[in-house]
Amino acid sequence: MKKIKSICPIAALITILLIGASCERKFDGLPLATYPTTPEVFVDGFSSGLYYAAYGTSKVTAFSVDYNIKYTGVASMKFEVPDTSDPNGSYAGGVFGTNPGRDLSGYNVLTFWAKASEPANIIEVGFGNDMGASKYQVTLTNLAVNSNWMQYYILIPNPSLLKEERGMFFYAAAPKNGRGYTFWIDDLKFEQLGTIAHATFGILNGNDSIKDNVETGDKYTITDMYATYNLPTGINQKVGLAVAYFTFTSSNPAVATVDVFGNVVIADSGWAVITAKLGDTDAEGSLTIHSKGQSVGPTDLPPTPTFAPDKVISLYSDAYTNVIVDTWNTHWLYSTAQNMEIQISGENVMRYWELNFVGIEFTSHPIDASAMSHFNIDIWTPNPTTEKTFKIKLVDFGENGMLGGDDDSEAEVVIASPPLATQQWISLSIPMSAFTGLLSRSHLAQLILSGDLPDVYMDNVYFSDNGAQPTEPTTAAPVPTFIAADVISVFSDHYTNLAGTDFYPDWGQTTVVSEVLIAGNNTLKYTGLNYQGIQLGANQNVSSMGYLHLDFWSVTSVSLSVFLISPGPVEKAYTLTVPTSGWASADIPLSFFSPVDLTDIIQFKFEGNGDIYIDNILFHK
Amino acid sequence: MKKYSTRMVSAAIFSLLFVILIGCHKEDVQKLPQRNYQLTWSDEFDGMAGVSPDSTKWKFDIGNGGWGNAELEYYTNRAANASLDGNGNLAITARKESYSGSAFTSARIKTSGLFEQPYGRFEARIKTPWGPGIWPAFWLLGSNIDSIAWPQCGEIDIMELRGQKPNIISGTVHGPGYSGASGITKSFAFESNRFDVGFHLFAIEWGTDYIDFFVDGTLYQEITPNDVTGNWVFDQPFFMILNVAVGGNYVGFPTNQTPFPQSMLVDYVRVYREVN
Repeated sequence: MKKIKSICPIAALITILLIGASCERKFDGLPLATYPTTPEVFVDGFSSGLYYAAYGTSKVTAFSVDYNIKYTGVASMKFEVPDTSDPNGSYAGGVFGTNPGRDLSGYNVLTFWAKASEPANIIEVGFGNDMGASKYQVTLTNLAVNSNWMQYYILIPNPSLLKEERGMFFYAAAPKNGRGYTFWIDDLKFEQLGTIAHATFGILNGNDSIKDNVETGDKYTITDMYATYNLPTGINQKVGLAVAYFTFTSSNPAVATVDVFGNVVIADSGWAVITAKLGDTDAEGSLTIHSKGQSVGPTDLPPTPTFAPDKVISLYSDAYTNVIVDTWNTHWLYSTAQNMEIQISGENVMRYWELNFVGIEFTSHPIDASAMSHFNIDIWTPNPTTEKTFKIKLVDFGENGMLGGDDDSEAEVVIASPPLATQQWISLSIPMSAFTGLLSRSHLAQLILSGDLPDVYMDNVYFSDNGAQPTEPTTAAPVPTFIAADVISVFSDHYTNLAGTDFYPDWGQTTVVSEVLIAGNNTLKYTGLNYQGIQLGANQNVSSMGYLHLDFWSVTSVSLSVFLISPGPVEKAYTLTVPTSGWASADIPLSFFSPVDLTDIIQFKFEGNGDIYIDNILFHK
Repeated sequence: MKKYSTRMVSAAIFSLLFVILIGCHKEDVQKLPQRNYQLTWSDEFDGMAGVSPDSTKWKFDIGNGGWGNAELEYYTNRAANASLDGNGNLAITARKESYSGSAFTSARIKTSGLFEQPYGRFEARIKTPWGPGIWPAFWLLGSNIDSIAWPQCGEIDIMELRGQKPNIISGTVHGPGYSGASGITKSFAFESNRFDVGFHLFAIEWGTDYIDFFVDGTLYQEITPNDVTGNWVFDQPFFMILNVAVGGNYVGFPTNQTPFPQSMLVDYVRVYREVN
């Protein structure tokens, strides 16, 4: 074919028009549309049936028809965004609709040209807002405009749904830095363009979200629906979509159901994935549910505190008047904790779930607990507690009463199992001295709970003044009653002890070991325990014995465990409940210490904190 | 392919109008010359996904800089940048990844030294990538490029596309006195379609005194010795090149809105010799 060197521009235009006509699709043979298919919304004036309704709180006169500035033809739509201080309305916004609706199923995109008096971002534009349910709304947010006419495209995600659409166009525009500006829109019409391509759709912003440990009855809503599509300029555009464009599916409706509005309800324990489609296209993003079924919680209340009200500063208890707590869940970054108050027998209990850590704040009214001796809290957990911990941190904001300023201090107490236990109320009474590192407790402002228990019910959170605390036992440990023939004694005034035991082997510990007389009875004292060993003079076969017995006393320790050790070393810890109220005695079945070799015991070890008194360490039948 | 600025606006407009004219009358039979061709070489790209292009047919160009075009990619021979897709296509994939000092990777393969032919029909069925700064191409270079250099060796661009205009391709020849921005060129545009949503057949039919350019069997440009503003150098064997460039003088920079990765899918490349 020969190259044509010149062509008359007018002739070319005519040619295009002619071809345009001949290239149009023919609708012969198709059923008549029930509603008009008019593509134009505003080209040089209001199209047939079009009305404008300004938003009630907007400046209602913001929109007008401009016959001077236009992209093509004789007129454009002009939008005068007011100043924030405009008494007639602080923003511009409204809806262009038709009644009856139109059949837009033959189009795939709403297009328009726009420019503005200055570069600005229009908050939102779109279609499908019918001032009612707006079932098929599509929203383009933060539309960037400048002083040049540019073309914009808003995808119709699934045109077959739009058989009777009333919402032709809507917009909302706010002042820029408090000051108004003007923008124009022209040639606003629906089109079928093959130059719009590669549409994808998604829910939940395209994320594959996972909800662990949810319970029967929990509810979630699928949000953040969108479409992306590639413009004729090769770049992608993203718009927000109404939920009605999507169909939702649950992989296991027995576990989680989902309705047409994307509302998810947990029905039972198990696993389910919520996915969506738009038409026949799979949507990106999903919601995975791991449900543990019906929640397990306490049915009874913890023991009612017995301290006199004037000896207590209560944060959370129906037994006392509580101080002001700003929040029981600060929802700090990375905290997944959720909470709600439940009632048991008419009394309030706080429930936490998905607890990794939770901030509890009373910064507006810091607590002066300097006269208090103990921090008390009752907890109940449905979770297994073996080898799990629950942590309690107190934060003091110091003299300035504010976070920061180099006068803050904090300390955390770690509670092990026991005393942690599953499905029973545990009353923790922690001496303030156990909060090592808490330099002051006169401006306490935060309580932070954390640990390994995702589900915790909590009650009776208060500081108490337990009265003058003895610093050492006033009585000797109880005298053991085992007959001597049934005993192998390591440390006791009441039996013949093994020879050669080293009570202060140097294992690098910081514990100070001493032997003190308590009511005339020799007692082992560990001051500032971190860990402490006992080296036996000779290997012992205790396999004929049934129990390890010991007596212990502490008001300052919140963690104490005892290890039995055979060569290897093979060792196993048993947790002792501290602090104690007076002397406590433990008789631990030796079978507990498996796999420690009971025929060949060489050492003991204690681990924990605080000051401990120990007596009558012995094996017995 | 090797060129340095945009063409004249009027020429582009002219091309568009011209093509629309043809495009809307596809049912009208063009008066095309009747030529008989016999297949001399082809690659159908059938094989398992992830397999590299047949080394008996293609060589890799490896490195960065785009040979004078100021392209941004590093061309590799990794399967990540060029391999069969398992559906009967070769995928040349441009990726946004830091590699040997470049911010993007891609691939460029050629038949140089493996297959070279003067004259005939050269065709490839291709689905293009898209996005600002993406520059896919199917083109030929004179096999004597190493001895007499470019542009004396000649260059025939059967298909080039700017990713920010995914509905327009161009066909161009370059030679002595008409290279770079002065290449002899014409564009073919879809009014309401794009080259990245389906496969299209791009071809030239090349004889001693003509090069005809086709899209899907529609002739949209014929270049003859009278059209070029220098010596006609299209009288010796040429080899083929397939590549996807990122950035460069022809296409401009990718933007942070350019979607990556981007693949050019090639269903087949076939070469024929004219027979009587």
